[in-house]
Amino acid sequence: MSFWDSIKAPLDISTNGQEIDSLFLYITAWNVFFFLLVITGLFWFSYRYSAKRNKKADYTYGNTKKQLLATLAIGAAVFFAIDLNITRMSNDDMLGKFWNFPGDEEDTIKVEVLAQQWMWNFRYAGADGVFNTEDDILTNHELHIPVGKKVEFRVTSKDVIHSFYLPNARLKVDAMPGRISRLWFEPTQTGTFDIACAEMCGTHHYLMQGKMIVHSQEEYLAWLGEAQTVANYANDNENIDNFWGWKWETNK
Amino acid sequence: MTYAHGKHAEPKTFLSKYIFSFDHKVIAKQFLWYGIFFLLIGGLMALMIRWTLAYPGEAFPVIGNWLFPETGGVIPPDTYSMLFTLHGTIMIFYAITPILIGAFGNYCIPLMIGARDMAFPTLNMLSFHLAALSGLILLSSLFFPLGGAAGGWTSYPTLSTLVGSPGIGQTLWCMAIFVLGASSTMGAVNYITTIISFRAPGMGYFDMPLTVWGLWLTAILNAIFIPVLGAGVMLLIFDRVFGTTFFLAGAAATSGTGDPILFQHVFWIFGHPEVYILILPAWGIVSDFLSFFARKPAFGAKATALAMTTISVLSTLVYGHHMFTTQMSPLLTQSFMTLTMTISIPSAILFANWLGTIYKGSIRFTSPMLFSLGVVFVFGLGGLTGLYLGTVSTDLYLHDTYFVVGHFHYTMAASVLLGGFAAIYFWFPKMFGRMMNETMAKVHFWGTMIGLNGVFFGMMVVGHAGMHRRLYNPFVYEFLQKLIPINTFITYSAFVMGFAQLPFLWNFFHSLVKGKVAESNPWEVGTLEWTLPSPPVNYNFEEIPVVQCGPHEFGNPNLPEGKDFQYQTEKLVEA
Ligand SMILES: [Cu+2]
Ligand SMILES: [Cu+2]
Repeated sequence: MSFWDSIKAPLDISTNGQEIDSLFLYITAWNVFFFLLVITGLFWFSYRYSAKRNKKADYTYGNTKKQLLATLAIGAAVFFAIDLNITRMSNDDMLGKFWNFPGDEEDTIKVEVLAQQWMWNFRYAGADGVFNTEDDILTNHELHIPVGKKVEFRVTSKDVIHSFYLPNARLKVDAMPGRISRLWFEPTQTGTFDIACAEMCGTHHYLMQGKMIVHSQEEYLAWLGEAQTVANYANDNENIDNFWGWKWETNK
Repeated sequence: MTYAHGKHAEPKTFLSKYIFSFDHKVIAKQFLWYGIFFLLIGGLMALMIRWTLAYPGEAFPVIGNWLFPETGGVIPPDTYSMLFTLHGTIMIFYAITPILIGAFGNYCIPLMIGARDMAFPTLNMLSFHLAALSGLILLSSLFFPLGGAAGGWTSYPTLSTLVGSPGIGQTLWCMAIFVLGASSTMGAVNYITTIISFRAPGMGYFDMPLTVWGLWLTAILNAIFIPVLGAGVMLLIFDRVFGTTFFLAGAAATSGTGDPILFQHVFWIFGHPEVYILILPAWGIVSDFLSFFARKPAFGAKATALAMTTISVLSTLVYGHHMFTTQMSPLLTQSFMTLTMTISIPSAILFANWLGTIYKGSIRFTSPMLFSLGVVFVFGLGGLTGLYLGTVSTDLYLHDTYFVVGHFHYTMAASVLLGGFAAIYFWFPKMFGRMMNETMAKVHFWGTMIGLNGVFFGMMVVGHAGMHRRLYNPFVYEFLQKLIPINTFITYSAFVMGFAQLPFLWNFFHSLVKGKVAESNPWEVGTLEWTLPSPPVNYNFEEIPVVQCGPHEFGNPNLPEGKDFQYQTEKLVEA
């Protein structure tokens, strides 16, 4: 693996991850520009105006109107031309994509996520389409989803704060006891990817790993059928621990 | 000038001179020793953390077997959590704060504004004693069953409540922070009062050195926001000890529901200003030193002071950028993003003025100057990389990764540490009456610069590659396995940085006893402390000086031949 490959961000398998990557690049371009500006000044002035080369320093306070206006203009230019631009772009991405949750009418995969020390629990509504009923499909560690379809998550935690982190979708959201947070994305590639916990959650925080298995549509249906059979057979009505789910609240 | 307290006779006994001293110069040195002591502990912890990340499962060299005999020298995962928790806590509250604010705040404020001591010397003494008590509480927590706090320096509930942290360590951590908060608040009111009422006659606010400006703004932020943190950790103590549920929710909240996110609000209302509490003294110091050693007035000194003031105000309005992933309302999120961006206006002014100061100067590359130029370099990197984190969408990806760790180490660790070293090299002759060795100082500088950039830039690289924080062994994740080599590189860099502190330590202790005896003004600088002998006598000024010009009077063409600066006590020479 080349050095460059070894430090690249993980493969992006989501429809919107590229927005984050491209904004990162945009900010980087400006940062490189400004940093070069600063260190060019820093190194060039250090060289050119060392006591050896310049025996006598200029006597100026930099307090003239012109000088003050110039510094203020630099500050204002940075803010209006660049910062507000970045803010607008990010805002557009958030409103148009990341916060633009699928509507009711849309056919999406819905998953409830329960974080706990130190594992991920996933819940699918099952055949009846209602959460927290007997036919719910429960998995832990493994999240199965189909490619090319929007997936919606509702995330909470049983004990301490965790953070549901999908590096390959460039997303994360905190899993907080007492609150339900939301996340959605649409996978564009099949394969097996890491799910991580990004918020310190105790000694074995580092072991709180999950796998996201993105299937082709057919494979997913096959998995779903099998999982449904297992669920119908194995779910135990008496075991209240199975019923950690909640009523799915729609987005709009 | 009137004083609330009478003039005590010079203390003679060891206790009254070194332990129960009212003298701001002695208290400054107490804080300096205290800070350096904790800096070494915090640094050693950093090396242990880095070791684990580069060589998971291998024994820590040399002292590993002695510290962790049960595991054959390998740092166990629960200890690892304690290490990064205490590394953060110690570096922020017990190393940087005491050195920059405790030591140099105490030392510089009275001397630079022409006062005989602080406004409240007893409070000043108490402030150090509370800090010492707090340090004892924190260190003692390591010796209780289950050890010290291990929930991160941010100690978010519910992890930091009994749900996630049984054992007394976390409670002691809260108490230590509370006591230290009281100490810092005492220091802060003292500094504020002293600066407002004890300035020498003739010294307007804009005639104060920028160092004093930085310390003043820091003290104001401290006085306002440290109590907020105090309240937060006090509520946490209540949850842990008295069974309240301020921060409990979900299954753990058996008697009524609170909200763990409430703590995050309280914490960051304090936490964001804290960043500036740490950096403002360094900014002030650097703004002064660039002028002192470029032998040129500070460019736009008034604008620099006002930009620092603006940043202090803005710093109180942006804390929500630490909580984007908790999914605040879109309106709050957008507001915090936009407000965060406004900080770049005054920051750009600071950089313009720093570069304006050395432009056409006649630069002397002494050790304080090198470290100050280093601050401009690392703060440039630290400030700019903040942009990614203030931007909501990029923060979705980067939040809680090593990118954040690299970024805040550039701003809070690298910049502040270099600023602190600049201050130590600069005021050492005044404090101890001896010079430090310049060659050693330069070795120290370059070693530190190379090491720290390797560490902190490396952290941003692995963070962008997705590596998240506080992992005992990141390489259990498949997508992080390719980062093993660069993590090893970061660890090597950390050892370079660590070993680069040896010449400093040698220099410091050797110069204390064997350094060249310092003249009263070895750097040829005109601020008030340099009108005094090195070290200054008890109560500093025989006669309170009258200030007649600004602190940055260099290169005035009307000065007589062979002199390129004037003291603040001298009348500005005119043609
Ligand atoms: Cu977790
Ligand atoms: Cu902040």
